[in-house]
Amino acid sequence: MQEKLSLTVLKIGEKATISAVNSEELPAKFLEMGLLPGHVIEVKHKAPFNGPIGLHIHSSNVLIALRKSEAEHIFVEK
Amino acid sequence: MKNPIIALLGNPNVGKTSLFNRITKLHQRVGNYPGITVEKREGTVNANSKTYSVIDLPGTYSLFPTSLDEAVVYDVLADKRNKYHPDLVVVVSEPNNIKRSIILYQQARELGVPAIFVINMIDEIKEKGLEIDYDRLEQYLNTKVYTTDARNGKGIQQLIQAFEERPSHYVSRFTIEEKYQSALEEAKKLFPLHTEYQTWQFLAQDHVSFLDEKQRAGLKAIKDKHAFTFHELQKTEALQRNEQTSELIKDIIFHKDNLQLSATNKMDRILLHPVWGYVIFFALLFIIFQLVFTLATPIMDWIDELFASLIDTTAAVLPEGPFSDLLTQGVLAGIGGIVIFVPQIAILFLLISMMEETGYMSRVVFLMDRWLRPYGLNGKSVIPLMSGAGCAVPAIMAARNIENTKERLITMLVTPFMTCAARLPIYIVLIALVIPNETFMGFGLQGLVLNALYILGVLAALLSAWVLSKIIKTTHKSFLIFELPAYKGPDWKNVGYNVWDKTSGFLFGAGKIILAMAVILWVLGSFGPNDKFSNAESYVTEANPTLSEDELSEEVASYRLEHSFLGYLGMGIEPFVKPLGYDWKMGIGLISSFAAREVFVGTMATVYSLGEEVDVEDEEEQQTLLSKMRSEINRNTGKPAYNLASGISLLLFYAFAMQCMSTIAIMKRETGSWKWTIMQTVMMTGLAYVVAFIAYQALK
Repeated sequence: MQEKLSLTVLKIGEKATISAVNSEELPAKFLEMGLLPGHVIEVKHKAPFNGPIGLHIHSSNVLIALRKSEAEHIFVEK
Repeated sequence: MKNPIIALLGNPNVGKTSLFNRITKLHQRVGNYPGITVEKREGTVNANSKTYSVIDLPGTYSLFPTSLDEAVVYDVLADKRNKYHPDLVVVVSEPNNIKRSIILYQQARELGVPAIFVINMIDEIKEKGLEIDYDRLEQYLNTKVYTTDARNGKGIQQLIQAFEERPSHYVSRFTIEEKYQSALEEAKKLFPLHTEYQTWQFLAQDHVSFLDEKQRAGLKAIKDKHAFTFHELQKTEALQRNEQTSELIKDIIFHKDNLQLSATNKMDRILLHPVWGYVIFFALLFIIFQLVFTLATPIMDWIDELFASLIDTTAAVLPEGPFSDLLTQGVLAGIGGIVIFVPQIAILFLLISMMEETGYMSRVVFLMDRWLRPYGLNGKSVIPLMSGAGCAVPAIMAARNIENTKERLITMLVTPFMTCAARLPIYIVLIALVIPNETFMGFGLQGLVLNALYILGVLAALLSAWVLSKIIKTTHKSFLIFELPAYKGPDWKNVGYNVWDKTSGFLFGAGKIILAMAVILWVLGSFGPNDKFSNAESYVTEANPTLSEDELSEEVASYRLEHSFLGYLGMGIEPFVKPLGYDWKMGIGLISSFAAREVFVGTMATVYSLGEEVDVEDEEEQQTLLSKMRSEINRNTGKPAYNLASGISLLLFYAFAMQCMSTIAIMKRETGSWKWTIMQTVMMTGLAYVVAFIAYQALK
């Protein structure tokens, strides 16, 4: 059973696959940097009080940071 | 014949700038692209019996810009008439992000620009756990692939030889979806001379600066008619290219365990920790400021003495007269005033560029973004703001690291509110004069006031940032996405170039303006319109025949100043500063300290007929200046010139006013615009005037 969740609900250390990106809200740069449907991500860090989120993108092996307000538009399946 | 232009194109963090430094060595200069604030790095290299112009384009992930910096890349590559349109593009990648670089490469090739492909940082390939099939990669890209390591110079010569290559025609792999075909056909009619992909790019861009009004209107009409946005086209292209490249790259690049990233991950667990991360960051900041002050102080003292003795020697050698005075008091003193900042700037940038080189700076952004965002600032604003506590000049230069143009501009506009080192002498003198030496809740009242002034600086910076963020419009939406690169040791060559670049930029750029101002102030203070200035000595002896020689020369200096152009200027602005509680002598202080705040104390000393040399650190001299100032009577009010009301008003004025030519000069240089520079000065000084007025009227 697959759930559709916003990326923001993931806890540190949790892995998930990106299922959809609400591209109305996000510029193409997010796609270019590897936040694409089908990619496996892992939440590595979270800054306190709803600060930025640090993600490891498995397929491209890089660490990306983005604001929570933008992470809300990225959906994942566990 | 024009030199062939080679442009380096690549993602951020691929070592593109290291490569640029390796190729051009010291034959490089940094300027701005015409009319905008984006930094342009340009250099030359001689090879293949030619001279090549090499341009280091701003780092970008694709040709769809999200900031002004990135917009430059598209303009340079897409506009054949652009002054910097390259003859060959060198796409720089690193082993870890070859995929993203391939996409950038494809976009450049399909726009019709010849390109070669370089994999930099090749020495890290093992550590990153990668294997690359170069033959297949070359075949796929239809160009030669070079490998370099900019840190040790490996492969650089071969790359420079390759500047002669012009790869053959490139066949596009990008297929434009059926649903956009009719729109594309219409757009093609507008641009009969362009290729299909170039036309597609016109549709997919938000704003193409080099097209004319009519063409842009035509593009907009097509987009409106077919009801799609440029965002949609950009995403379509990004998705398709990513899918395609992911599929192909499986046979070209083989992933194993990335050792570098796992080491980085371990360090980040501490450095990005919700508690320890902040503790370490603030400890680091504390150490940086300690280093900037402790390391710079002996060098600054040495420079100070050097210039003092230089001035003395010059004055002794040259015959006395206006020329000697201009050279010593105007030019040499002016240059000394610039050079003295060099150690602080160099040390600050040494430490900052080390933070950048190691990858720690991205972590600072990660930690601080949450706390600065409510004020319209960005995580990266923390470096300029904290540096502003030393000196606003290097601090404003440090704002270059902020990609978002609006956030960068706001950061630069508010940084001078931070309490810089030059405000300290004024604060010390004024607090000693008007704040009683008592204790309040167990703390020294004078110390509390000084602390309050520092806090006031931070508050002023944050609040004005908040206001500005509501006013300034931006075409680029605020968002934040950035890479946290793997930690690595600094590339010392890069650090060296960076420190040299920033320091020399300050020395020669801002220096010219500071020097001019110093000379102007000297001229105004050294000449007067009538014989009360030229014959000051006889006027003074006539009034006080009993003065000793020392007293006489002091009185003469003071009388001269009063009747110099500067003195008349002071009288001229008296009506404006009177509501703030100041008299004409303080007016002179305000005018002369427009060049630099610290000039105020020296000017006041001259005005109150003390010698020019006042060392605030020196207890005894400070006392004499203080007692003179304390006994000074404001002739308008009949009260002491420095009472609580006028003192607080003056403190507040210096806390807010843009009393610094160096800052103005650097703002002009960094923003490339007089509009923002003047707006900042008016905003700061206007605020200072209003606040000082309210304080004086309430307290008097």
